[in-house]
Amino acid sequence: MDLEQRLSVLVAEIDWPPTPDLGTRVRARITAPAPTQRPWFQSRWAMAAAAVLVVLAALIAYTPSREAIASWINVHTIFTRVNELPTPSPQPSGPLGKRLGLGNPTTLDQAQSKVTWHILVPASLGQPDEVYLQFPPDGPPQGEVTLVYKSRPGLKTSGQTGVAVLITEASGKVDAQMFGKMLGNGTNLEEVTVNGHQGYWISGQPHVFFFIDANGNFRDETLRLATNTLLIDDSGTVIRIEGDLTKAQALEIASSLS
Amino acid sequence: MEGRPTDGELFTRAQRGNQAAYEEIVQRYQQMAFRTAYVITGSAADAEDAAQEGFVKAYRALPTFRSGAQPRPWLLRIVANEARNRVRSAGRRHQLELRVAERFRPGDAAPSPEAAAVAAEDSKRLLGLVYELSDEDRLVITSRYLLELNGEETAAALGIPEGTVKSRLSRALARLRLRVEEAAGA
Repeated sequence: MDLEQRLSVLVAEIDWPPTPDLGTRVRARITAPAPTQRPWFQSRWAMAAAAVLVVLAALIAYTPSREAIASWINVHTIFTRVNELPTPSPQPSGPLGKRLGLGNPTTLDQAQSKVTWHILVPASLGQPDEVYLQFPPDGPPQGEVTLVYKSRPGLKTSGQTGVAVLITEASGKVDAQMFGKMLGNGTNLEEVTVNGHQGYWISGQPHVFFFIDANGNFRDETLRLATNTLLIDDSGTVIRIEGDLTKAQALEIASSLS
Repeated sequence: MEGRPTDGELFTRAQRGNQAAYEEIVQRYQQMAFRTAYVITGSAADAEDAAQEGFVKAYRALPTFRSGAQPRPWLLRIVANEARNRVRSAGRRHQLELRVAERFRPGDAAPSPEAAAVAAEDSKRLLGLVYELSDEDRLVITSRYLLELNGEETAAALGIPEGTVKSRLSRALARLRLRVEEAAGA
């Protein structure tokens, strides 16, 4: 019997640990209590979702398929259903990049030589203290760059992570990545404009960031700091600014990106 | 004929907000999801968490599921991603422990207890050699042969392009074959 046959036979003999019954538990978690009865508010979210669609459709380089648009429009139904979100847990000790899942440490120059977009750096914060770069399997298809600012005058530093601001950039250009945002109760989405680009200020509870990658595959990433986040769609580059920031602080950082 | 709803029907219903339909999807795929997460994390508790979290996230992501798409790779990608996140948070992978049961092999004509014991011993040794491989080799071999995932599903579970699966698998098999030969010669 050759090796592959022996491996195939092995499958019948493995004693797997018993599979837990997840159906009931998952159902209990997805059964959200009725959303707050504020139709104007919900419709505002719906409008925000629609606005995201319009902006993305305009930005991306190809005409999205009907399914893609349909799936995108559906995002608002998720906004009202989600009531529970995983909280990024404080991580054990170890290098920052590893703890926060940022990828490999690098420098701005090296990162710039490996990604297709121009990496934006906020003049108001200066040069980042650390730079990380991540490619598949952990990062998106065209890579993801994270700038770490450990402390800056006037900005709070997270006691858990020792980080003041995280700026994460990923390309959504050629492959027309679409992102969706799943918001939990107690999280607010507000549209903003940053240097003429569409942005979204998300305040409140921890959240997860979703998008569709180049291959049409679903990707999700936990927002690392579980704090207020400013999302900017900068002509094909999706930028996330995370930190214990006020909206004014986040906008100041964002408008100094160059 | 009144039959079980197809996966496609269940996904369509779940996408319209039918939670009972989604519960049935979970029941259909929980074994695959749990075992895949188990192979990745090496811990039944972590695998349970990852599978549960993965199914909850997949529910939220249902609008991104294209009708007519294969549910297995789609779900596997989400669950395996959860499992890898847990390995990353823990900073290490638990030692995977799979046991071999003394069972009759399908197709064997009334094997003697001795023959079954010999066969189980043989399988244990082979499994031991699989464990000794690097994480990368072990994961691709277990996905393909022990979880019986196809190429697309293996790619989803490992978070690598489908084209990489084949080359990675053949390299892993070559290294395993070498170890089997060494063990036989020893």
